Amino acid sequence: MESWDYRPTADFDKSPIEKLRMFPRQPDMLVYALRFVVHLWLRVYLRVWHRYRVIGRERLPLDRPFVMVANHASHLDALSLLSALPLKRIQKSYPAAAKDYFFTSMPKIAFSAVVVNAMPFDRKENPRDSLALCRQLLETPQHILILFPEGTRTADGALATFKPGIGFLTAGTNLTVVPCHLDGAFRAWPKGAFIPRPRKLTLRIGEPMTFASFNPDKEGAKAIAARLEEVVRGLAS
Amino acid sequence: MNAMFGSETIRIFLVIAGGVLLFAGTAIAILKWVLKKNADHAWHAFRGWLVMIPLVVGAILLGRVATIVFFGIVALVGFTEFARATGLYRDWLVTGLVYAGIVGLAIVTLISPPDDPAKIGWYGMFMALPVYVVAGVLLAPILRDRTKGQLQVVALAMVGFVYIGWMFGHLAFLADGRNAAGYILFLLFSVPLCDVAAFTFGKMFGRHRMRPNISPNKTWEGSFGAFAVGMALPWVFRFALPGFGTRELLLAGVIVGLGSQLGDLSISVIKRDIGIKDMGTLIEGHGGVLDRIDSLIYVAPLFFHMTRFFVGLE
Repeated sequence: MESWDYRPTADFDKSPIEKLRMFPRQPDMLVYALRFVVHLWLRVYLRVWHRYRVIGRERLPLDRPFVMVANHASHLDALSLLSALPLKRIQKSYPAAAKDYFFTSMPKIAFSAVVVNAMPFDRKENPRDSLALCRQLLETPQHILILFPEGTRTADGALATFKPGIGFLTAGTNLTVVPCHLDGAFRAWPKGAFIPRPRKLTLRIGEPMTFASFNPDKEGAKAIAARLEEVVRGLAS
Repeated sequence: MNAMFGSETIRIFLVIAGGVLLFAGTAIAILKWVLKKNADHAWHAFRGWLVMIPLVVGAILLGRVATIVFFGIVALVGFTEFARATGLYRDWLVTGLVYAGIVGLAIVTLISPPDDPAKIGWYGMFMALPVYVVAGVLLAPILRDRTKGQLQVVALAMVGFVYIGWMFGHLAFLADGRNAAGYILFLLFSVPLCDVAAFTFGKMFGRHRMRPNISPNKTWEGSFGAFAVGMALPWVFRFALPGFGTRELLLAGVIVGLGSQLGDLSISVIKRDIGIKDMGTLIEGHGGVLDRIDSLIYVAPLFFHMTRFFVGLE
């Protein structure tokens, strides 16, 4: 008789915090359940406290993997974008979050991994590897990546220049990018404020775009970043 | 009924637990800092106990409901470890069914039978639940029209539910009985003591390896030592076992002395077959929850039915 094929999960001998730190994370039903409950309440909170509104939800190409890009003004951004997606997709939606900020201490790791479902993005030492991880992530059907191409939260509320990473990710591919603009987040929770204020939040979702005709080099990437920045700026007004 | 939870029995066990912890802590501290010996392993295991004992004792002091919920959570975590180690976890439907079954066990342990509201714990359904869970698990491949690897999935789910959920669940069902705290604390104390005895006797006199394939460090000498200690423990803890005569005390000794070792070996067989060392990392110095409760899983249902038959639980 042939022996059975046991395959322990990839994070089997890791401690709970190491399990949350590693990426891609292994399925964990407790985490899924917690995330689901938190997001249910998060949606209520956004509706009530911030009168959150989503314009253009029907433009989301939910039949394939895609990248959502948006302006970055506060810690509410990733959560707001996640709340614009169907609830059953939150387990497969990954906001890219700065590894040097969100994956440093235990409470931050737990929050980033469980609630935000964040993908640790190494923006300092190894952005290339992180982009490769993004690419790998988007090979799975139904996966959604949320990126903030400015690379950090705005300090003054103005939109900063988009970094070319999103260009390297999409140039010469059929990968769909959905540009979005979140309005009101800077007023609601600027850098340095302790708790969010009850300001109105509005998310405008733009038309999906692809960049198959762009060259996968530095020039092409920069052009894509500039193009997306322009579209997001356009959504703002 | 709940008066049992605040009784003299608990107080005696609390004193014993405190004494053992104090003694072990001092011994390890002397080894570590005075004699400068390498006691890291013992130190980590001790710290694990420092977390576990207050959790268990706290649940028992809080009463019947807390005790049942606590053991329910332990069973859920234990099954999760088993499912993750064997790869069953990839099948969310079957894993979910077993989860539902374990939650169901906790519920029927908590409620009264619908036809007799005076009783505590729906014993009939507790005994019948494996039938429904096994039937449900067998349904999964049929609903999905799958064959490949399904015998493995179904068999793993059955072992997971019957062994880790249901057999261990007997420990929680003891909480519904008249002498709840006494029986539970007797098992919780004597089973680890047997493990310690096996380890100590093995270290001191161990020559002949017992089951070199399954557990290379276990020896016949350690096993006999543990059995002897197991036979003695019911007499030591006689205050916790009211109504036990010589026959029951002897049977309890055999169950604890043999069962705790067999439970340990049973989980070891699974671990060796998969090729892992521990079932998890949750408890410092002990490995996973399953590594800690392996002996209890085997002992609890045997003790339960022996006591129910000869002494009566209600």
